[in-house]
Amino acid sequence: MKQRGRGMACMWYPIGFTVMANPSAATVKVNTDGTATLLTGTVETGQGALTVLGQIAAETLGISTDDVHVVSGDTDSTPMDTGAIASRTTYVTGNAIVRAAEAAREILFESAAPLLNVKPDQLEARDKRIQVLGFPSRSISIGEAAQHSESVVGHPAIGSASYNPPTVALDPETGQGKPFNTYVYATQIAEVEVDDETGEVEILRIVAVHDCGTAINPMLVEGQIQGGISMGVGFALQEEILFRDGVQVNPNLTNYILPTSLDMPDIEVELVDNYDPTGPFGAKGAGEPTAVPTAAAIMNAIHDAVGVRITSLPATAEKVMTAIMEQRGAQEQRA
Amino acid sequence: MATTVKDVKKAAEALETNKDLTTPAVKPVTLPRDNPVVYPLTLPESEARLRTPAVGQRASRPDGRLHGLGQTKYIDDLTFPHMIHAKILRSEHAHARIISIDTSEAEAMPGVLATLTGREIPVNSFGPTLQDQPVLAAEVVRHRGDGVAAVAAVTEQIAADALEKIKVVYEPLPAVFDPMEALKDEIKVHPPASNIYASKVIKKGDVEKALAQSDHVFHRVFRTQMVEHVPLEPHSSIALWDGNGRVTIYSSLGRITLGREDLSRTLKLPQSKVRLVGTIVGGNFGGKNEITNEPILALLSKKTGRPVKCTFTRGDEFISSTIRHPFIMDYKTGVNKEGKILARKIHLVLDGGAYCSWTGTTIGKGSILAPGPYEIDNLHVEAYAVYTNKTTTGAMRGFGAPQVCFAYESQMDDIATKLGIDPLEIRLRNAFSEGSASPTSQVLQSVAVKESLIQASERFGWEDRPR
Repeated sequence: MKQRGRGMACMWYPIGFTVMANPSAATVKVNTDGTATLLTGTVETGQGALTVLGQIAAETLGISTDDVHVVSGDTDSTPMDTGAIASRTTYVTGNAIVRAAEAAREILFESAAPLLNVKPDQLEARDKRIQVLGFPSRSISIGEAAQHSESVVGHPAIGSASYNPPTVALDPETGQGKPFNTYVYATQIAEVEVDDETGEVEILRIVAVHDCGTAINPMLVEGQIQGGISMGVGFALQEEILFRDGVQVNPNLTNYILPTSLDMPDIEVELVDNYDPTGPFGAKGAGEPTAVPTAAAIMNAIHDAVGVRITSLPATAEKVMTAIMEQRGAQEQRA
Repeated sequence: MATTVKDVKKAAEALETNKDLTTPAVKPVTLPRDNPVVYPLTLPESEARLRTPAVGQRASRPDGRLHGLGQTKYIDDLTFPHMIHAKILRSEHAHARIISIDTSEAEAMPGVLATLTGREIPVNSFGPTLQDQPVLAAEVVRHRGDGVAAVAAVTEQIAADALEKIKVVYEPLPAVFDPMEALKDEIKVHPPASNIYASKVIKKGDVEKALAQSDHVFHRVFRTQMVEHVPLEPHSSIALWDGNGRVTIYSSLGRITLGREDLSRTLKLPQSKVRLVGTIVGGNFGGKNEITNEPILALLSKKTGRPVKCTFTRGDEFISSTIRHPFIMDYKTGVNKEGKILARKIHLVLDGGAYCSWTGTTIGKGSILAPGPYEIDNLHVEAYAVYTNKTTTGAMRGFGAPQVCFAYESQMDDIATKLGIDPLEIRLRNAFSEGSASPTSQVLQSVAVKESLIQASERFGWEDRPR
């Protein structure tokens, strides 16, 4: 018979390691038409990082995402970056970009201030214009300001900066200290159906609620969460590299079973409203944590459905069935 | 539910009749070869990309559009004039001494332009923390994924055929596969060094005393398996050594600054003579965080004066690239009658495989995260990573976090069941709040674990679930 069960798991995950140096640098160049170019040494690995980084530069300069062209991934032309690892890109590279874009913006403010008869610190960059704080009608376009900076003042609006979450050593004896700059949190709840005659588990539904601080691009965070859950499903139920005498016996996609779209449950994603003052516009990160609680939630749902505790992953049908039979055996003995 | 031909037809009809802006006005143009469908390039831009302020917008990805149009160029899509192809021969043993490697027969094959062995690599070691991994094994192979020789030939097929002509004589050594066996150091993977190559301790309060004072103590051992990242795009690179002695490498690596340092070091070239270009990566998940075949291709390009490409087969990807660390996790947790956690004692053993790779980060994060997002005053976490003669474990999405989360969250439900407390309630009673101290006594800010628990429960309908 098919038995339904529900299980939850929460988690925490660190963003911005500090046990060793973890820097990123960035360069932002404002073009004379008000668009901009961002140079970053990180690489797009499919997560949408370059879009998010472009949005961070755009926000700082008061322009749109589409106004920023992102150049990445070339050691000849892009600045140092610790890389697309450890869910650090939005937080660490993002913080470097805010600082670089601020430096470029400052040049625009200095050039625009005399034209608007104010001091540079009375200006803001907003809606593609440099405008006087509190007097938005007194403004010039970012393009005009950049053109003036470059062609009249002779100071092109280019900013470079770096960011490193302050490096601190941990106590070698007790491991105490501050190993990461901040953390994100999440809860996933799974509903499963377990066939108690075959041990087969079907995941019906997963609700995933994640904190990433400010979501710079909510659509891309949702995409990360859906992708992370697919990895979590594989980790929970299917994927396993098997060895015989040190030889992998299933190094191919025929015998190493990955979840496909047919194995995926309905996924409902929500974000927690949160803000981290140390991140770019309050953002933290979203890459890895999405894959963390899925397997745990599924195992708790299996326990809720059929009362067996799976203690080793993956929970293959064979393993679940064995656990169910052992439980029945124990119950019969008691009876 | 499977997609049927009918569904596809229906979708196609819907597209035909749909006149909104997201549908191209012109019918797809079918081109002959590798780029079957190209839509007109005048698609309207997503409005979210055009709005200010930029932060918070659901802006579409420029690379997403290229993926959709089939225009993304991955490394394997790139080609250069006179480019040749490399293949790598892998070890026949899990642990063995290499007595000799004879490449002469392979070199004599028509179409083979060069071979390479580990002895020809200027600095034949790499690794993000310990440089314990050879680019090509020269003296000892420590797992079946170790490369022992490479061939560059005019076609991939000739290179693959040539691998079979390479004669390697091995002296097999005893191997160790079980991490608990490896802990005993009876068979050493990197003699004379101990198999335990990384460890981590976190201590807070008095765990033994608190366990003794607990109303209930829960104890269980949890285990996780080895899994592969399985990116759609396997590792791929192209190296071009030019007449000025400068090498350009196109690579699917996700960290090019540090990748260039590794290349400069292994090739003994100044960093100014190495250019590393990363293109759009077809999935990384931690598996493309260090060099693999790049130095080999650079040297083959130097030998032949030709651009050299190597794209891993799926088999290469499984056996020679890094995978996720299996964990053996011993959890002992003491709670009071109300379900408040008083103490947690955790012992972790990480199966590291043959080389260190990103174990430092994995053991660090795994240990710190192991107690879970809970306020616990008395903690003792002890973790050991141990070499075995198996596939190298490295960085993979979560660096140990999915493993320990499986353990700590399974045990939370064990506690809830035994004490008759709802799983949501037991978590809320113990979870971090703003300003809580972490296992390393860090004062936490922007904490949202309780918020996520409550929000997820409301969305799921947890309180109303059938029981």
